[in-house]
Amino acid sequence: MFHWLAALALLLLPTAAAAQSSAQLEHTSVELIAETATPAPGRTLTLGFVTSPKPSWHTYWLNPGDAGAPTRAVWTLPAGATAGELRYPTPETFVVSGLMNYVYAHENVLLVDVTVPAGLAAGTPFPITAKFDWLVCDDEICVPEGATLKLDLVTGDGTPDPARAAAFAKARAALPKPVDWPARFSFVGDRFVLAVPFAQAAKVRGGYFFPAVEGAIGYAAPQTLGIAGDTLRLETAAESARDLAQVPGVLKLDVEGYDEPLSFEITAAPGDVPASAAAIAPAAAAGSDGGMGWQTATLALLAAVAGGLLLNIMPCVFPILSLKALSLARGGASEADARREALAYTAGIILTCLALGALILLLRAAGANVGWAFQLQDPRVIAFLFLLMVAIGLNLAGLYEIDVAGRGAGGALAAKGGAGGAFWTGVLAAFVATPCTGPFMGLALGAAIALPPAAGLAVFAGLGFGLALPFLALGFVPALRRRLPRPGAWMDKFRRLLSIPMFLTALGLAWVLGRQAGVTGMTLGLAAALALGLALWWFGRRQGGERPAVAPLGLAVASLLAVLLVTPVAQTQAAPAEDGTLAAQRFSPEKLAALTASKTPTFVYFTADWCITCKVNERGALGSADVAAAFEKAGVTTLVGDWTNADPVIAQFLESRGRNGIPLYLFYRADGTVEELPQILTVDRLTGLVA
Amino acid sequence: MLKALAFATVVALAAPALAAPQVGQPAPAFRLTDSNGKARSLADFKGKTVVLEWTNAECPFVKKHYAGNMQALQKAAAKDGVVWLTVNSGAPGKQGHVDGAGANAIVKAKGAAPTAYLLDAKGDVGRAYAAKTTPHMYIVDPAGKLVYMGGIDDTPTADVADIKTAKNYVTAALADLKAKRAVQTASSKPYGCSVKYAG
Repeated sequence: MFHWLAALALLLLPTAAAAQSSAQLEHTSVELIAETATPAPGRTLTLGFVTSPKPSWHTYWLNPGDAGAPTRAVWTLPAGATAGELRYPTPETFVVSGLMNYVYAHENVLLVDVTVPAGLAAGTPFPITAKFDWLVCDDEICVPEGATLKLDLVTGDGTPDPARAAAFAKARAALPKPVDWPARFSFVGDRFVLAVPFAQAAKVRGGYFFPAVEGAIGYAAPQTLGIAGDTLRLETAAESARDLAQVPGVLKLDVEGYDEPLSFEITAAPGDVPASAAAIAPAAAAGSDGGMGWQTATLALLAAVAGGLLLNIMPCVFPILSLKALSLARGGASEADARREALAYTAGIILTCLALGALILLLRAAGANVGWAFQLQDPRVIAFLFLLMVAIGLNLAGLYEIDVAGRGAGGALAAKGGAGGAFWTGVLAAFVATPCTGPFMGLALGAAIALPPAAGLAVFAGLGFGLALPFLALGFVPALRRRLPRPGAWMDKFRRLLSIPMFLTALGLAWVLGRQAGVTGMTLGLAAALALGLALWWFGRRQGGERPAVAPLGLAVASLLAVLLVTPVAQTQAAPAEDGTLAAQRFSPEKLAALTASKTPTFVYFTADWCITCKVNERGALGSADVAAAFEKAGVTTLVGDWTNADPVIAQFLESRGRNGIPLYLFYRADGTVEELPQILTVDRLTGLVA
Repeated sequence: MLKALAFATVVALAAPALAAPQVGQPAPAFRLTDSNGKARSLADFKGKTVVLEWTNAECPFVKKHYAGNMQALQKAAAKDGVVWLTVNSGAPGKQGHVDGAGANAIVKAKGAAPTAYLLDAKGDVGRAYAAKTTPHMYIVDPAGKLVYMGGIDDTPTADVADIKTAKNYVTAALADLKAKRAVQTASSKPYGCSVKYAG
């Protein structure tokens, strides 16, 4: 019955379509709407031409860009009535094979004002007919479509049609705002420079200029936006330095504090433009839409806590935590002591995280492009960490003991306890944790940088809180403490075993040191480790004796100072394929742009020798022959960015993805969509990308 | 947020602009194989006026002009000793790409009369000329200088009915050349479908 009715309806439709206000074409559906059904004589009637291209198809702005065509309308109006120009909403950019198109890839409404002649009696029929022609394209095919639409209006009092109010409000909001700012343009060599005074220049995070006239700019050329005082300076390639009396267009800006980009209809006159400008603050993760709401901050905070919690099982942190936990069990500490220790440990961790976070934010404010674990890009820090790991390992192995009482040294791990010792253990745990950026942390730390400083610091603190959480729980929940294994002679053995992950971490760091500072640097580090080992051995022998242990300690400190001699060597770009079978090319944003422009599926990943998660993935899923074969079969190009040493280009790219840490795995499909993969990769996940 | 990101990404990824050739400068040299397998280079036609026409037989804007207009232009040009080279920069697998036989079939079916139909599947010549649309027209004078580039006429539509009221820039430029005048309109905005380049 229902089918039958539907079939009947379909049969009837074409006959009714003769002069309708809407039309359904193959690639677009269109409708002509009026703000009022009863236009008032002597007033202006606003009409809207609603175009809905089907998914993945688009229609064009008034200047279509390198190719395409705008919408045209031919009006048949009652005598005396006139229709104005079509008013277009702000378009989007769409690049195909290096050609720029200014388009609408979704429903859009063109507005037009019709003057209704005065003197018409109320109740006079006011029929409007318009023949529209437009071009609708996907990324390959273009189809001209057209329709003749009719509205049967009757003059009246001009009361707006309530059913249309929302549509017209939305359509007006989508129009660029006409402004009379004294914008100027100039051709400087083969460059086009636009200068626009803008009161909130410092809050601009990005933007694009859509010229309404031909001959001003090369449409597909990248546009660079900068600030010179309270003037925005936009520079791009000139098309053909013609004698343009003026350049009208639409300036679309991402402004901090606004959820949507702002658009202004400007007209630039020839004139002086600033010779240079400061770079705008990069469009941070969600900062570009300004509304970094509390949800984002909360999400980042939760992710930070979860990430911190997971850090506890990383090889560099686990021994420290477990020893600290055992010291609680062994000490048979009183309730109050346990709490105090837990709090001191937490304070140590959180303060270290805050200090690192504050340093990052300060350096960034000063213009440096640094991210989490940035300190590991300095070989001296790596050398120091390496020696620290060796020292901790030797301590765990039993070569020497540290008596914390009154001497809160960094290595006070397995020691008796005390709030001071616990605090420094926390500091140590946070510091050694930095190479072990784990799951969830990328999201949190990326957001931390985009957030206002106070909220950003809260995220860093959250990370520390997560890291401290297990020990905090032990300190405050006696039941948990009671579940710890009973102290005994086995603990000594366990402690010696825990030196193994420490030494392995040291080995890893030695390798990183070698990559950063060359064979000489690594040898220097190993020599320092040897001196440190001998000194600690000597120190250990004297422990318990009567003679003071100052001399050997001095030697140990001297060996630590040796790290200052380590200098980075010129970065030899790591052969990227070394760690796996994936044939990879070195990452550059230009290469990625070229590959996406040519619709080559592209897998992009970022790594660093000090990033353990990265290395695990590279040895595991990324190194798998199955993945290499699947990628090769699907014609996937792999790009790898090596962030072992500081690289502002990579830092900037990560930031454009809302990240400031690695690993980061991205898959650019041929259709232009980008998928961000989890930080722990599996073979199935990777082969699934191209299945 | 996603929208802003997507916007930023699009802007960031915008491919470098095609380095456009300049009117008044020597036209970029090229060498291509035509639909009959013969090698053709711009240098072969030194001393003659050469028209370059970018095409894609499935593009509605090209169809508009192949309803008779383009063929008439080609025949008039031939009569004046002007060389007419139709160029197809469509990549294999994309709309409008043809091999030699396919090109000859189109020429025959449409009654077209180019001097040669050149195959530029790699798009190198198209990119050298910064050809963006189909059609996109270029005129090279007998000295090898580019004297016109842009649209075929001043009415950017796909409607055949508009041809009779449009000002044809190619006809005008060829008349200027013939009369040894400077070309009055030496460039205009090309219109049509985008050239379906590889990648």
